Amino acid sequence: MTLSELSLRNAKRQARDYLVYFVTVVMAAALLYSFNGLVFSQEIITLSKGISVLPLMIVLASVVVVCVFGWLVAYATRFMLLRRGRELGLYLLIGLENRQLTRLFFLENLAVGGCALVLGTALGGLLYQAFRAIVLALFGQPYAFSFGFSLPALGLTVLYFALIYLFALRRSRKYIRRANIHDLIYVDRANEGMVIQTGTVRRWMFSFSIVLGVAGTCLLMAGGAILGVIGAGCVIAFLFGFFLSFASGVPAFFDRRPARKYRGQSLLVFRTLTAKLATMGVLMATISMIFTATLISEGSGLVFRGLFAGRAAESACFDLYIGAAGDGPVSRDYFDFIQDNISVERELHYCVYQAEDSRVMDYVESMGEDYHRYFDRDPVLRYSDYAALRAIAGYPPVELKPGEYLIHCRAYLEKHLTGYTQPISLGGASLIPGGVHAEHLMQNYDTGNGARYILVVPDEAAEGLPVFHHAYAAKTAQPVAESQFDLLCDINYRLGEQNLLEPSYDEIHTRASEKAEEAAQTVLVVFPLFYLALALTMTAATILTIQQLSETERYRQQFQLLQKLGMDRREMAKALGRQFTIYYVLPAVPPVLIGIPFILHLSRAPEPGVMAGMNSPGAIAAISLGIFFLIYAIYILLAYTSLRRNVLPQ
Amino acid sequence: MLQVQNIEKYYGSKNNVTKALDRVSFDVEAGEFLAIMGASGSGKTTLLNCISTIDTISAGEILLDGVSIAGLSEGELAKFRRERLGFVFQDFNLLDTLTIEENIGLALSLNHQDPGTVQNRVREVAGKLGITDVLTKFPYQVSGGQKQRTAVARAMVAGQSLLLADEPTGALDSKASKNLLEIMTAMNRGLGATILMVTHDAYSASYAKRVLFLKDGRVFNELLRGERGRPVFYHEILDVLAALGGDVSDVI
Repeated sequence: MTLSELSLRNAKRQARDYLVYFVTVVMAAALLYSFNGLVFSQEIITLSKGISVLPLMIVLASVVVVCVFGWLVAYATRFMLLRRGRELGLYLLIGLENRQLTRLFFLENLAVGGCALVLGTALGGLLYQAFRAIVLALFGQPYAFSFGFSLPALGLTVLYFALIYLFALRRSRKYIRRANIHDLIYVDRANEGMVIQTGTVRRWMFSFSIVLGVAGTCLLMAGGAILGVIGAGCVIAFLFGFFLSFASGVPAFFDRRPARKYRGQSLLVFRTLTAKLATMGVLMATISMIFTATLISEGSGLVFRGLFAGRAAESACFDLYIGAAGDGPVSRDYFDFIQDNISVERELHYCVYQAEDSRVMDYVESMGEDYHRYFDRDPVLRYSDYAALRAIAGYPPVELKPGEYLIHCRAYLEKHLTGYTQPISLGGASLIPGGVHAEHLMQNYDTGNGARYILVVPDEAAEGLPVFHHAYAAKTAQPVAESQFDLLCDINYRLGEQNLLEPSYDEIHTRASEKAEEAAQTVLVVFPLFYLALALTMTAATILTIQQLSETERYRQQFQLLQKLGMDRREMAKALGRQFTIYYVLPAVPPVLIGIPFILHLSRAPEPGVMAGMNSPGAIAAISLGIFFLIYAIYILLAYTSLRRNVLPQ
Repeated sequence: MLQVQNIEKYYGSKNNVTKALDRVSFDVEAGEFLAIMGASGSGKTTLLNCISTIDTISAGEILLDGVSIAGLSEGELAKFRRERLGFVFQDFNLLDTLTIEENIGLALSLNHQDPGTVQNRVREVAGKLGITDVLTKFPYQVSGGQKQRTAVARAMVAGQSLLLADEPTGALDSKASKNLLEIMTAMNRGLGATILMVTHDAYSASYAKRVLFLKDGRVFNELLRGERGRPVFYHEILDVLAALGGDVSDVI
């Protein structure tokens, strides 16, 4: 048998014994390949100018992901190395030199990595199709399945994998080169250690870490680069302080409370856990840190997606909209261009007027919503213009009875304005409320249709009112092309620059450009964040699972002994379940306590009205948690099923 | 063949030093079967580990055929382990992924011996140890006695001249222990193998030609079998153990 054959045989055993790790490495290859597929896809890159920087964003995210997976492989490799100390020591004892042993281990891991790369690339091809379908759907393009193989994507994936394995194996190589037979053969006789010895230091560390955790979370929520960095530092210090002091504090807690220690299965559960946690304090803190980063990445991704979608939904209600800056009419230059280049089915030139006072605005402000006063008076729209705008936007018609006025507002103000029952006065006439409507109507800009609400009054009541600004809205036969939108923007820029002292620009929006921008921003920001979150969750959950499953034999012996001592299978299953729950829940608790307030705070940061419905802060926090625990649960379930089957006596 | 001269071994940190071996000296002749006995913590496994280069000594010298093993380079040490040294552990230390045949032949094949020669040599040694019929099985498919005979075969297959055994019968039942000890005796007598065996068990030690007794890291006593029969020698060993006083219960 040659060294290569032995390596191959060991690689097979490694893949079987550490199946969860192997599957994660396969998934890592799949993720890297599929995202690299996006980097090199001409079809995707040419969808819009807005995503021309997508390759850069994905490569940047990939660098972080490579570091994360590099850490996973390095950790798992080192872990396996220590677990196999006796075997490796034996190789040395039968005459292998350290450099031969290094080669054996290198070849073995190369075989595992190579196999994972091949399987991952095949899986990545399918995953790429899923990403491609999502991106095309975001841009409103048709999708057709076409399984292709991208050589450049494979090349980049191989490069990433080479970096991951070189980093991991360099550390192992150093260890093997320096290892002596005695340390290797007797590695399993190393004692469990208690990290913090004295009670005073532990209590001080525990209390101080909690203070740091609360302070760090507040600083993260306060925002800003400097405070954010300090906050992140505090959170990291909290996690390490907490887990180092907590692991060694549990035995002391139970020693002082013998009644609780000997109640039910407490003794078994806490002793098994603390033995593990005492030597895993740093690892638990690292995993907790990774989970915190995961939750924040997922939450941020959802917040950005909500923000882009919320903004786009409001701005994309018309095929074409131009709001003039200042009180002059919309420039003739636009209409000349539209007449020559865009097929318009229906259009409207209209004005937004000023009411005589700001009583509705005062009321909205009094409701305590985060409201910015764009104007000094309430904005007003003529009913005929409103009806035409609704038709252009594709909304059903609404009726305005004589002597009444309507309110059209952003959805988040609807609940307040529905309760507004006061009449308004225009030109001596008094109008009473006739209803509230809340469809998207370009109400998020000061040159839009009002300051997040607008009063719709009979045409005659608006006669003689001063004009806030002029606007133009149109329904086109075809979506306005990106190039046409660019030319309209060029006109806007040229007109704005004519006033050299105080350049002012009109507001131009097209449904197509808004949707494209939303899609581009989603792909550019949300994809990399979720890519990162997925890599982080998989890495941390894999390490926890490797740790847990590596104890299978020890647990099996322990439960066999317990069976001899008279413990029945149901009780054993219960103890194992409790032990398992605490082990997996513990590192997830601090991330939830830090991540959720952060996500809630972040999702409240955008302007009012954007984050609504499925994008409301509560929903985003819930979805973030859901995604996180869904992936985490897969690993937990795998580990629990395997442990229960192999550990509990039949 | 082997000279152990005033070796010392310290463990622990600066503030907590444990002296595991304290100026231990003895010689081993080629073809000798030497047993080392002592209570738990007396330093016998440490001594064996130092001789086998598993562990290093803090002071003194270990000479093999006049050459100090402390002065060997990494490559020379590997060669020494490969060609001169065989080691047998209490818990066998076989590789689960390899068959019995592959376990025995591993060291030879990793050192680029001709595959045909490896197989012939493995079968030859396996025949002498009575494990030919389990060569194609994996370690988990054979008995403890067969596993330990595999370990002995692995330790002798390359023609190693020095066999170091750490409690080789510790995990075996009495029948398998007797069988293994008889095989080791036959190897010593028939093949001229030099054997150093660490053991707790007076019965196992009685198969040796000489017994060294260690206490607190020092050589406490030495017993030569001479022309006496094994049962007589066994009782003499028990007498020495009794002279060790309170430690007798630990070593029997």
